[in-house]
Amino acid sequence: MILIKKYIPLALCFLFGVLTLGSYYVPTAASENYMEAMNQWENIVAGFAFLLGLFGLFYSHYNKITRKVDGWGYSLFVYIGFFMMVIPAILSEGKIMEGTTLTSIGWGYRFIYNALASTMFSVLAFYIVSTAYRAFRIKSAQAAVLFVAALIVILGKVPLGQMLWDTTLGWTGTQVSGIVQWLMDVPVVAGRRGIMMGLAIGGIVTGLKIIFGIERQYMGRD
Amino acid sequence: MKNFIEKLLKIDRRLIFLTLTLLLFIPIVRPLGLPNKNIGTEVKGLYDRIESLPPGSFILLSIDYDPGTRPELHPQAIAVLRHAFRKDLRVGMLTLIAGATGLVEELAERIPKDIAPDKVYGKDYVILPYQPNPAAVMTQVGMDLYKIYDTDRNGLPIKDMEVMKGIRNVKDMGLGICITGTALLDSWVALTGDRYKFPFAGGCTAVSQMGYAPYLQTGQLKGLMGGMKGAADYEGLIGHKEKGTSGIDALNLAHLMVIGLIVMANIMMLWLKYL
Amino acid sequence: MSETMMIFGGWVAAGLTIFLFSFLYKDNPFFKIAEHLFLGAGMGWVFQTVLFKTWIPKVWMPLTQAPYDFSVLIPALLGLSLVTQFFPKISWVSRYGFTFIMGYGSGLVIPLTISTDFLNQIGGTLTPFMVTSFAGNWLQLLNGSIIAVGFICVLFYFFFSVEHKGAVKKASTVGIYFLMLYFGAAFGNTVMGRFSLLYGRFDDLYKYSGGKYFYATHVILAVLVIYFIVDHFRTKKPAIEEEAA
Repeated sequence: MILIKKYIPLALCFLFGVLTLGSYYVPTAASENYMEAMNQWENIVAGFAFLLGLFGLFYSHYNKITRKVDGWGYSLFVYIGFFMMVIPAILSEGKIMEGTTLTSIGWGYRFIYNALASTMFSVLAFYIVSTAYRAFRIKSAQAAVLFVAALIVILGKVPLGQMLWDTTLGWTGTQVSGIVQWLMDVPVVAGRRGIMMGLAIGGIVTGLKIIFGIERQYMGRD
Repeated sequence: MKNFIEKLLKIDRRLIFLTLTLLLFIPIVRPLGLPNKNIGTEVKGLYDRIESLPPGSFILLSIDYDPGTRPELHPQAIAVLRHAFRKDLRVGMLTLIAGATGLVEELAERIPKDIAPDKVYGKDYVILPYQPNPAAVMTQVGMDLYKIYDTDRNGLPIKDMEVMKGIRNVKDMGLGICITGTALLDSWVALTGDRYKFPFAGGCTAVSQMGYAPYLQTGQLKGLMGGMKGAADYEGLIGHKEKGTSGIDALNLAHLMVIGLIVMANIMMLWLKYL
Repeated sequence: MSETMMIFGGWVAAGLTIFLFSFLYKDNPFFKIAEHLFLGAGMGWVFQTVLFKTWIPKVWMPLTQAPYDFSVLIPALLGLSLVTQFFPKISWVSRYGFTFIMGYGSGLVIPLTISTDFLNQIGGTLTPFMVTSFAGNWLQLLNGSIIAVGFICVLFYFFFSVEHKGAVKKASTVGIYFLMLYFGAAFGNTVMGRFSLLYGRFDDLYKYSGGKYFYATHVILAVLVIYFIVDHFRTKKPAIEEEAA
């Protein structure tokens, strides 16, 4: 049984990994056919992957409802929200527009999902200001450098900031937008490239470990 | 004085929230009307790239953002579409984010309405359906896109559409653009841009803009619009001011507020420490 | 869609937006309802998109309509195998789906990472020095030198195989400053990004506050304010609020 449960999946991972890797370095008609087939298959597999999230969400809220934990009533709204999208979608056959008219699922997207999703993310703006006030303390030279870079970018991105710079520091002959551009073209490249290189090395090593079956946490426990 | 400063440092955060609300809302009701003058070179890079394409060239536009980042990225997409159609380029739109399908439809609704009323679906542009695996799509469009996109979003075969004439993969296209609030632009650069030597550009949120600086320096990205400022810059370049321009105008006061708060908090901290 | 439905939509959007914002004042049932609706609606949207854009055209139709293609059953079963994760006795079946994804993904990512994020970046660091004369190129050479020095110093900062002392420590300290410049610039941009998103919501609320929408924003906001006032007097002991950032 261990063969079916463990070794065959690992062998498949190795096989697909090596073939995909090889098809990059050996571009032949065969490798192109292999990649085309894999791309079509992977596209379908990925279409089922989100079920993990769906089942996880439903399972956790189902448990809250059945166990009547504090605030269990709110969990009902998870299901309400889900069916508020799915039922109109089925009625509209997944079409958001019918000609120039909005369908019921199109309406749901525009006035429910759109409002909820964009507001959820926009709330962060309040916390970034509050955190900047309460926690942004310039206690070292490094923090000062960070602050100066942030200050220049914040000023340089909006017209009022540029006007303020011109009024107070215009005599230096510099423009804040020019400094922002230089920051982005030079020191930011250096800083980001260092991080990028570290991530690249980590990614390559992890990829190789997965192909060779050394990294297998994603398989879960035996 | 010391007590007052300490109180001020521990001010109810809701007062800060209220101030921010007012400073963002007031310019919406009464715009300041300050001109957005300085255009970023990376935005100009994208503009010049599109400008240099001969009429009839094909642009692949990947709309990979959902409502969470819509205010920053939707104006970018509209500006690019407007420019591309003005240059008589063919456009193929697609998305790899499920949450973006509704926004793609909004663009589809606006094209005949006000972006490019003279352009015809199937002849000048096409909208491809959502696909769940970005890596598969990005690799496949480099080989034979019809193997993964056989129909448009409404189920009509695309191979015979006039807009797809002469197009089999990215080698037949002029430029790829991904507008996204995710890391999909990185993937496009690696899986399609670099691999198939396909010129690629992008639009991203302000949050991730700095992260693309190395790609711009190496030329892996031909241009980039970053956040609302990127959208405003592009609108300025094409001479059609919309939400990007009005948005950047509305951000003026709030930006100064953040600087003011950080400086004030640090002065108060120094006061408490040394005086 | 009728005009009435569009106006009703405006009310719904304004209501949900204000409900979510109400958390900024304090936690309340309206926020919690909207928050849970968001989870469900988000998942519902993805579900219907995948159903109509992947499952039906890419799996169902090839199996039920000519020209038949039964090979789609293989990826479909591999995809479905992922769900066995939730059933401990047969959860091992999901390994087939996962290994298929991981093998393909790793094989794809390795060469591209080597090319895009490794070799190209080294190339990009060297490119500014590929000039034939100093004259006219001094600025490019200066900026190229700053990038090269900064890049190497940042690498030193992340290099833990040698002890950070002496020249290595100095180099890694310089690296920290470059990182701070990057993080500072990123923070500045983040501020703009977050404000942009908030602007988007406020812009919509402003739209829904017009006469065309029968002042939806004003009415809903007023109702919520009344709720908070009533709630304030109704609650004998106000809950101690957590001080968040």
